[in-house]
Amino acid sequence: MSGISSVLDIAAQAMAAEQVGVEVTSHNIANVNTPGYSRQKVNYVTAYPETSPWGPMGRGVRIYNIERSFDRFIQASLDGKTATLWEYQAKQSEMERVATIFNETEDDALNTLLSEFWAAWHDLADNPQGAAERQALIGQAESLCDAFSSRAEQLVQERQSITQEIGPILEEINTRAARIAELTGQIQESEVGTQVNNDLRDKRQNEITELEKLVGVSYYTTGDGTVNVTLPNGRPLVTGIDSWTLEYTIDVNDEIDVTWHGPGGTVDHISDSLTGGKLSGLIQVRDTIIPQYQSDLDNLAKEFIGAVNSQHSQGVGLELFTSVTGTYAVDDPTDPLNATDLPFGAEITAGTFQIFVDRDGAPQSNATIAVDPTDTLDDLVIAINTSAVGADVTASVVDNQLRIVANAGTDTFGFAADTSNVLMALGINTFFNGDSAYTFEVNSTVSNSPNMIAAGQIDTATGEHPVGDNQNALALSDLENTAVVTVGTDTLTVAEAYRRLVADIGLEAEQNATQAQFFQDQVDQYQAMRDDVSGVSLDEELTNLIKYQRAYQAAARLVTVADEMFQTLLNTKQ
Amino acid sequence: MRVSMATVYSYIQRNLQNLSEELSKINLSISSGKKYSSISDNPVEVGALLGLTTSSDQVAQYKRNLNTAQDWLATTESTLSNVGEIVKSCTATAEQMATGTYNASQRIAAAQSIQQLLEEIMQGGNANYNGQYILSGYKIDTQPFVEGAFTIQTPVMKLQTGSTGTATSGGAYVGTTTKTYVVEIVQGGATGVATFHYSEDGGQTWSDPPVATGAAVAVGTDGVTATFGGTWVEGDRFSIPVYKPITYQGDDNTLEIGIGRNSRLEVNKVGSDVLGGTGGSTDIFEILAQLKSALEANDAMEAGASLENLKTYQDQLNATLAGLGAALNRVTVKNEVYDTLQQSLTDNIAEKGDTDLVEAANALAAKELAYQAALASSTQVMSLSLLDYMTS
Repeated sequence: MSGISSVLDIAAQAMAAEQVGVEVTSHNIANVNTPGYSRQKVNYVTAYPETSPWGPMGRGVRIYNIERSFDRFIQASLDGKTATLWEYQAKQSEMERVATIFNETEDDALNTLLSEFWAAWHDLADNPQGAAERQALIGQAESLCDAFSSRAEQLVQERQSITQEIGPILEEINTRAARIAELTGQIQESEVGTQVNNDLRDKRQNEITELEKLVGVSYYTTGDGTVNVTLPNGRPLVTGIDSWTLEYTIDVNDEIDVTWHGPGGTVDHISDSLTGGKLSGLIQVRDTIIPQYQSDLDNLAKEFIGAVNSQHSQGVGLELFTSVTGTYAVDDPTDPLNATDLPFGAEITAGTFQIFVDRDGAPQSNATIAVDPTDTLDDLVIAINTSAVGADVTASVVDNQLRIVANAGTDTFGFAADTSNVLMALGINTFFNGDSAYTFEVNSTVSNSPNMIAAGQIDTATGEHPVGDNQNALALSDLENTAVVTVGTDTLTVAEAYRRLVADIGLEAEQNATQAQFFQDQVDQYQAMRDDVSGVSLDEELTNLIKYQRAYQAAARLVTVADEMFQTLLNTKQ
Repeated sequence: MRVSMATVYSYIQRNLQNLSEELSKINLSISSGKKYSSISDNPVEVGALLGLTTSSDQVAQYKRNLNTAQDWLATTESTLSNVGEIVKSCTATAEQMATGTYNASQRIAAAQSIQQLLEEIMQGGNANYNGQYILSGYKIDTQPFVEGAFTIQTPVMKLQTGSTGTATSGGAYVGTTTKTYVVEIVQGGATGVATFHYSEDGGQTWSDPPVATGAAVAVGTDGVTATFGGTWVEGDRFSIPVYKPITYQGDDNTLEIGIGRNSRLEVNKVGSDVLGGTGGSTDIFEILAQLKSALEANDAMEAGASLENLKTYQDQLNATLAGLGAALNRVTVKNEVYDTLQQSLTDNIAEKGDTDLVEAANALAAKELAYQAALASSTQVMSLSLLDYMTS
């Protein structure tokens, strides 16, 4: 029914509708800086027309719904890139810390210490009986050992500090998953028909985005407003109003084992399938990248130790031994030497070595001992004790280590011409001790008595070992330029191998930084695209504000007009 | 395209952040003087830098080794050239004394000077560098040349034509000076029949009366004996030198020093090769002892024979000295090569690793300008708002 009251009616509805517009605008303005907020707008429709003699007649405005500006395809892309970005960012920041451990651009870098170590051998070769040169060599060698073991130690600490980050991350993932499920419940309860709970949906979307930063997930929204979040291997993290949890343990290989605890007590190990997010980046650095460097560094240290010891065991110091105990122990003295877990057991070849015994400083006796890699330590002991020096020295097995002692107080003994590497493998007459970067140290025999540093060699023809002999020191200083370390298919010098390790670490750090930057740019672009759709523009809102205000004013004016019309009508009766 | 507030402000923030990060990087490289502060800045260049540094350190070490080598070689050379000078003056004396114009007492005087020169050679040969004997081989803690006890030497025979006399020396010397006994047959005949007398001063004075030849007959009063054999002719002579032989205590190794990759230099000489002490025709001690004995025995012929040996020795010594000179020259050349190499390595390291100040200052100025421009335009953008134009 049309009439003046109908005008009043239209005006009242319009005022109410425009007021909603102002309210929504103020909501937008208020949330201009709220993360994840999507701007909302009021959808107006015309009211259902009324039949009239002049045909259907408009009945003013109605509010259809309040809609948020949201493009789920852009959002999905943004979330995917965010997961990748956070993975690379985590790797980048961890790798920067690892790179700092190996920072060779500073002074006192390992590369410098290595040069100084070889230089000390050169100095000793220049003056083989010099006490100062010997002491300096020990000092340099100890600095070098410290440099190796502190780097190994820092790598271990780096892994430990990553371990400490894993727990809080999993806790946050579980909390956010539970929050998503909870929000879904609230959304289902609050939505009717076409009316959508914009703010709760924004909140839930924001939770998902935050979740992507921690772990790469995929999600899809069903028609009824529920969302399912799944892990990369397809295991659900959130299904409707249910969420499942992640936990971790350290497995026997010292690796992070992330487990998914699903419905009905189902457990799945998902470490290997994780991609994207900080969690995946951290696990990769901890369990793949750093262990590789650890094994590279250990391999480098081991081959370095082996090369130096192998040469050192050929020589004699200014003093000979009165007794010597090997630094490497076998598992079982009745097992073959190459199969008893000696760190350098594989280096033993069929060959011989010689023992020379001095009495009161003059050659007394000598013997050549034949060694086969399948000999046992017990065999070796018998071979020494029954040899030509058997009357002057006694070999025995002490704590599964070879021990040789001179029988008489006037006697000393030394070694020469070891072609079998057995002395090096057992740690007899060696310079270094240990078999990895972590256990790298100077053999206490030489560090306690620098005169035991083998700069010379016994003259196998005469048994003499004059103090001016520098052959062994020269041979050791030559190792600087000898390729002794096997890296992949290449054989490199110690310095080259270390340089390669440093370059590998630097490249990994650089590459992650580059990737992080690349994905940062991508995320920025998608963020800009998302904000183009969903972000609040104050100028736009202010314009809308005026628009709604003016419409409200005009509608109010309609009330006045209708009132005047009533007045006019009522006045006609007077 | 809609532009939301978030977009505007995040762009401003990001750009300012990037610019200030670049600014701080340039600033760091200027203040530290180093192009790279972390191995991830440029792993390839940093790796190359490490290689260059290693090479440079090595060259520095080889230069230090060359200094040691030079010291050893110079000490060896000066020792041996001193010996050369002494040998020359011995040769001059021997040349003089080999002529017939000198008498026994003059020759004995010359013998004394030869003995002194011999001792001087021995002292020279015992020279050390930094407390290490340079001519002992590896036994640098052992004095290479030592005088032994007095030894009665094998007789030097001077027989007349037709003589079949033989003599061997024996006994234990109890004297305290070096001397040479000259034995002369006074009356010929078979051993036992023949008689001899002897002289301790080169034949100036003779023992009297003559004594019959035989086995282990005392010659002089200091324990020297001679055992005669064969048939003697009057005027047969032989001399029995008594002196302290010099023996070599070192070994026959030569010290080597590393002066380059797989390159070693011999920096000393084996004392027994260049001086002697082990006997033989090139043993300067034995040559001089024989010369001295010949002079004591007033034997110009033997002195002449020693002269030949001295000349041979002098040639050998000259060859050794030439070798040392060549080695010293090699050290000098190698040093120069290393100087050049180190210079180029240093340049290379500086070029790769040090900040190019001009370039960095330019970059800094450019970034500064960009930063200021960004600040200015950001301020402009941020100040624009519809609010400024709305009146209540």
